[in-house]
Amino acid sequence: MTTPASLPDIDYAGVAPVLIILGAACIGVLLEAFVPRSQRWAVQVVLSLLAIVVAAIALGAYLYTGPQNTSTFAGSIALDRPALFLWGTLLALGLGSILLIADRVVEPGGAFVAQAGIRPGTMLDKEQANRSSMQTEVFPLALFSLAGMMIFCSANDLLSMFVALEVLSLPLYLMCGLARRRRLLSQEAAVKYFLLGAFASAFFLYGVALLYGYANSVKLADIANAAGGTNRSDALLFLGMGLLLIGLLFKGSVGPFHTWTPDVYQGAPTPMTAFMGACTKVAAFGAILRVLMVAFGSTHWEWQTIMWVVAGISMLLGAILGITQTDVKRMIAYSSVAHAGFLLVGVLALDGSGIRATLFYLISYGFTTIAAFGVVSLVRDGTGESTSLSSWAGLGKRSPLLAGIFTFLLLALAGIPLTSGFVSKFVVFAAGMSAGITPLVVLGLIASTIAAFFYLRVIVLMYFSEPAADGPTVTLPGMYTTAAITLGTLVTLLLGVYPSFMLDWAGTGGFVV
Amino acid sequence: MSIAASETVQQASGTMSLAWLLFALPAFGALVLLLGGRRTNSWGHILGVLTVVAAFAVGLVLFFTSLGAPPDQRTLNLHLFDWIDVGSLQVEFGMRLDPLSMVFVLLITGVGALIHIYSIGYMDDDRDRRRFFGYLNLFVFSMLILVLGNSFITLYLGWEGVGLASYLLIGWYSDRRSAATASKKAFLMNRVGDVGLAIAIFLLWANLGSTQYTEVFARAGQLSPGTATAIALLLLLGACGKSGQFPLQAWLPDAMEGPTPVSALIHAATMVTAGVYLVARSNPIFDLTETGRLVVTLIGAFTLLLGCIVGCAYDDIKKVLAYSTVSQIGYMMLGVGLGPFGYALGIIHLLAHGFFKAGLFLGAGSIMHAMNDEVDMRKFGGLWRKLPITFVTFGLGYLALIGFPFLSGYYTKDAIIEAAFGAGGWRGWVFGLAGAIGAALTAFYMTRLMLMTFFGKSRWKELRSADDREFHPHEAKPVMWVPMVLLAIGSLGAGAFFVLGDRVVNYLSPTLGRLSTAESHPIPELLITIGTLVLAAIGVLVAWLIFGRAKDIPAQRPENVSGIVRAARKDLYGNALNEALIARPGIWLDRFLVWLDNKGVDGLVNGTAALFGGSSGRLRRLQTGFVRSYALSMLAGGVILIGALLMVRYA
Amino acid sequence: MTPTYYLVLSGVLFTIGTIGVLVRRNAIVVFMCIELMLNAVNLTLVTFSRINGGLDGQIMAFFVMVVAAAEVVVGLAIITSIFRTRRSASVDDSNLLKY
Repeated sequence: MTTPASLPDIDYAGVAPVLIILGAACIGVLLEAFVPRSQRWAVQVVLSLLAIVVAAIALGAYLYTGPQNTSTFAGSIALDRPALFLWGTLLALGLGSILLIADRVVEPGGAFVAQAGIRPGTMLDKEQANRSSMQTEVFPLALFSLAGMMIFCSANDLLSMFVALEVLSLPLYLMCGLARRRRLLSQEAAVKYFLLGAFASAFFLYGVALLYGYANSVKLADIANAAGGTNRSDALLFLGMGLLLIGLLFKGSVGPFHTWTPDVYQGAPTPMTAFMGACTKVAAFGAILRVLMVAFGSTHWEWQTIMWVVAGISMLLGAILGITQTDVKRMIAYSSVAHAGFLLVGVLALDGSGIRATLFYLISYGFTTIAAFGVVSLVRDGTGESTSLSSWAGLGKRSPLLAGIFTFLLLALAGIPLTSGFVSKFVVFAAGMSAGITPLVVLGLIASTIAAFFYLRVIVLMYFSEPAADGPTVTLPGMYTTAAITLGTLVTLLLGVYPSFMLDWAGTGGFVV
Repeated sequence: MSIAASETVQQASGTMSLAWLLFALPAFGALVLLLGGRRTNSWGHILGVLTVVAAFAVGLVLFFTSLGAPPDQRTLNLHLFDWIDVGSLQVEFGMRLDPLSMVFVLLITGVGALIHIYSIGYMDDDRDRRRFFGYLNLFVFSMLILVLGNSFITLYLGWEGVGLASYLLIGWYSDRRSAATASKKAFLMNRVGDVGLAIAIFLLWANLGSTQYTEVFARAGQLSPGTATAIALLLLLGACGKSGQFPLQAWLPDAMEGPTPVSALIHAATMVTAGVYLVARSNPIFDLTETGRLVVTLIGAFTLLLGCIVGCAYDDIKKVLAYSTVSQIGYMMLGVGLGPFGYALGIIHLLAHGFFKAGLFLGAGSIMHAMNDEVDMRKFGGLWRKLPITFVTFGLGYLALIGFPFLSGYYTKDAIIEAAFGAGGWRGWVFGLAGAIGAALTAFYMTRLMLMTFFGKSRWKELRSADDREFHPHEAKPVMWVPMVLLAIGSLGAGAFFVLGDRVVNYLSPTLGRLSTAESHPIPELLITIGTLVLAAIGVLVAWLIFGRAKDIPAQRPENVSGIVRAARKDLYGNALNEALIARPGIWLDRFLVWLDNKGVDGLVNGTAALFGGSSGRLRRLQTGFVRSYALSMLAGGVILIGALLMVRYA
Repeated sequence: MTPTYYLVLSGVLFTIGTIGVLVRRNAIVVFMCIELMLNAVNLTLVTFSRINGGLDGQIMAFFVMVVAAAEVVVGLAIITSIFRTRRSASVDDSNLLKY
C-alpha cells in the first residue's frame, strides 16, 4: 500500500538567492559548451556578476517582505536572520572574489590556466602561458561553491549540511589547481586540499551517522531535544559531536586542524586564495555557530571548556607560527588561523551578543582579506607573483599608494582602532567578557599582540628597507582588481569608523529552532 | 573624598564646539603629506607646520574661552558621533574638554609647533622631509585624540596611533641597523603595556558596562576593591610601557635612534608623558585603591633613581638626556601616585618638563648638527664659543632641570619632593629621600654633560668624525635657534608662572580635585627646600671636581671601566678610604643598574620575544609538507578532542 | 545477531580506512581508503536505521553514495593531473609547499 508522499512547502522567495546562484552556475556550464571560446570570458563574467546582483536583490526583497525566522524545505533550510545576514555577506564577498578572478590585466590572460590538462613545463605549456585566455569554467565553479556555502551556513539538518559541504568543497579543490604560473605548486595545493578535505569530511559524516544513531534524526533541533532529556548513551552524542567538529573546524582552519591552510593558501591562484580566505571562513563559522548553539546549546556545560582550549590553541598557533613566515600568503594564512581563534571567542559566548559579534567579525574580516589578496596579486616579477617577503622590501618608496593601502589592511588585521578589525575584535571580546570567558579574552589580547608583531614587520619592511635592485614590479591593476581592492578597503574603513549599522543588522535575531 | 564625584559635565556649545578642528587640522596635514606623494615635496613642510600652528591657535582660543567660564562649568563634552551604538554596546566618539585636556592641548600643539618649525631646518637635507612631516602630523593628531577623547576607547585609539608614529619615526634612519632594532624594541615593550591597558578597558567594560569617562568615573565606586586594584595596576602597566617606567624603561633610551626633533617632541615632551596623563585621568579609579597608588609611587621613586644613576654612565649626549627623561617621568609618576596630594603636582612638573626637556633636546640636535651628527660627549668640549646661542638656551634648560632657584624645575620638582615627604610614615621618608637624592644625582650628571660638552679643552679639534670629516662647529640657522630661544624662555619662567599663586592647581581642580596638603611634614618645608638645593649644589660641585678641573677627559671611552670609574679613580686616588666607602658602592650600584637596564629587563622582554620566535621556528618544522603528516596531526587533534569530550562527560 | 555487531564492524572499517590514509603513499590508494571510510559510515547509517526503525538512515546512505561518486570524479581529475606532471602518484613526492 502506498500513501502519497506529501511534498514539503517550499518558500521560493526565501531560497531565491541560492536558486539564482545555482541556476546561473548551471547556465554557465551550458555556456561553456555553446559559446565560442573567444566570447566565453565576457559572457561568463557578465553572467556571474549579474547572478550575484540579482540574488542580492532577491535577498533584499525577501528581507523586507518575507516572514521572519522561518525555515523551509521541511525545516532543512533555515531562513532566520543570521542565515540571511550570512547570505548577504557571502554574496558581497563573492562579488569581490569574482572581480579578482575576472581580472585579465594583472596577469595577462588571468590568473587561471587556459587548459589544465597540458603538462607543466612542456612546450605546449609555455605556449599557453603566453596565450591570453583562461579557463572560463572557473566562473560556474565559483558560483557552485558560493551556493554550497550559502546552503552550508543555513542548513538546519546535518545531511543538508554534509551535501552543502561537498558542494562548496569540490569546486574549491579543482580551482586550487588551476594557477597559470607555478603550476606544480598549484597542483600540489589541490592534491593536499583534496585529500585532507575528503579525510575531514569522512569524519564529519561519521559524526553525522553517530548523531543520527543517538537522536534518530539529523535535524539540529531534534538532537538538542534528544540531548535534553533522555537516558540514551551520551557516549554516542559526544563521540558524534567530536567527529562532526573535526570536519567543521577543518573548514574554518581552526588550529590544530589548520595544517592545510598555509600550503593551500600559498599554492592556490591568489584570487582563489581570496575566495577561500573570505568566503569559506564565513560559511564554516556560520555553520559552527549554528551547530554549537542549536544542536549542542543544551549540553554546553559539558563541552565549552574544551572548546575554549581549542580557541586558545588556534590563536596562539596562528600568532606564533606567523612570526617566522617568509611568504606573504603563508603569513596571511597563519593570521587566518589566529583569527579563527578570535572568532571562536564570539561563538563560545553562546548568546545573542556572541552571534552579533561573530557575524560582524566575519564580514569585516572577509572584506579585509579580499582586499589584501588583491594587493598581493599586484606585486610581481618575471615569473609571476612575488610573494616572498624579501621582495616586498622598499615597496613604500616605489609605490606609496599601494603600500599605504596594504599598511591599512595590515593594521585592520592587527586590530588597530579606526579599522574594522578593531571594532570586530572589540565586539567579539566584549561578548566573551560578558559571557564570563575572561581567561580566553586575556589570551586573545596577548595573541593579538604577538600577531601584531608580524604585521608590523611587513610595514617596516615596506617603508624602511631599500628596494632590491632586481626586485619585483608593481603591476597597474585592471578595472576588476581595482574595484575589488577599493571595495574591500572602503568597507574596512567604513566598518571601522561607523560600525553601528552593520552591528544592528548582525544583531537582529537568533537562530530558528 | 575630595574628588570630583559630583562633577558636572555639560555639552559644549559656541566656540567650544569648534574643538574638533584641533585634531582635524593635523589629520588633514598627515593625509595630504602621506598620500600626496612627491608632488607635495616642495611645500609639504610648510603645510605640516601650518596645521600644527593653526591647531595651537584653536587651542589658545578654546583655553581662554574655558578660562572665562566659572570653574564648575569648565568640563565640557563634545559629542561627535556614535561610534558603536547597538544594544548594550555604547561607544560614543566624542571629546572631553576639561582643564586637564586643555593644558595638554596647549603643551602638545605649542611645543609641537616649535619643534615642527625647528625640523624645517634640522631635516633640511633629508630627501624624505615631506614624509617626516607627515609622520609628525600623524603623531600630533593621535596625541590630541589621546588626550581629548572622552572614553577609554578613544584614548586607546590615540594610544595606538602615537605608538605607531613613534615606531615609524624611531626607525627613520633605516640604513642603520641599530635604528631597526630600537624600533622593534620600542614596539615589543609598548605592546606589553598595551595588553595591560586593553585588559583594563575590558575589565571596566565588563564591570561597569561602559568605557565613557563620565559613566566610569560616576560609577567607579561600584567596583569591588579587588577589581579596582586590578584595573589600576593594569592601567599602570600600560602607563609604564608608554612612559618608559620600570620595568619597561629600556626602550626609551634606544628610541633616541630617531631624528632629534622626534626625541624632543615624542620621547621627551609629549608621548612619553601619556602614562602620567592616564594615571591622572583615571584619578577616580586610583582614589579607590590605596595599593594601586602605592605601587605607582614605588615605581615612580624607583625609576627616578634608576634613571639618574644610569644617566651617569653614558657618554652619548642623547642617551643621557633620555635617562634624564626616564627619571623626570619618575618624578611625575611619584607625584600622581600620591593621589589627591599630588595629581596636580605631577601634571605641573610634566608641563614644565615639556618646555625645558624639549629645549635641551633641540639644543642637543643643534650640537649634533654642528658636529657632523656626533653624539659622543667625549669628542666635544669647549663648544660654548662656537655655539653661543645653543649654549645659552641649553644652559637655561640645564638650570631649570637641576632646580636652580626660581627657574622652572625649582618650583615644580620641589613641590613633588615636599608632597612626597608629606606622605606620612615610612613612605614620606622613602619617597622624599628618593626625590632629594634624585635631585643631587640629576645635578651631577647634567653638570657632567654641560662640562664635557661646552667647557674644557676643544677635544674635537684633533679628531675626525666617523665618516672621516673634520669638525667645523657652527651655529644653526634662525629657523632652528628661534624655537630653542622660545623654549628657553619657557624653561626660565614657566615654573614660576604655573606654581606661584597656584594658577595651574586651581585651574586643574575641576578635573583632579582640590589639591590636598599634608597636615604635617616630618621636617619643615623650608628645610626640605633648602636641603634639596644643598644636595643639588653638592651634585654640581662633585661633577665640577671630577670633570671641570680635569682638563683632559679621554676622547676614547676607557676599556672595561665606565667613565665614572675612570674619573673616580683619577681624582679620588689618594683617598683609598673614600673610594672604598663612597665611590666603590656607587660604581657597583651604577654597574648593577646599567646591567639591570640592559640585560635584566631588556633581556626578559627580548627573551620572551626570542621564546616566541624560537618556538615559532621549531613549530614551523612540524609543517613538513607531507600530506600524511598533516592527516596524522588532524587525527591526533581529533582523538584528543573526542577524548577530552568523553572525559569531561564521564569524569 | 544483534545490530550492534554491524556498528562494531563499521567502526573497524572506518579505523582501517583512517590508518590506510596515514600509512599508504599512493594517492589513489589513499583516496580509496577515504572511500572505505565513507562506506563504513554508510554501514553505520543503515544499521542505525534498522535499530531506530526509520528509513532516514537508508536514504542518507544514498546521498552519501552520490556525494562519494562526485568526489571520485574531482579527486581522480586532480590526482591524474599531478600524476601526468610528476610521473608519480606518491603523496610524499608532493612536498614543495612546507614550513
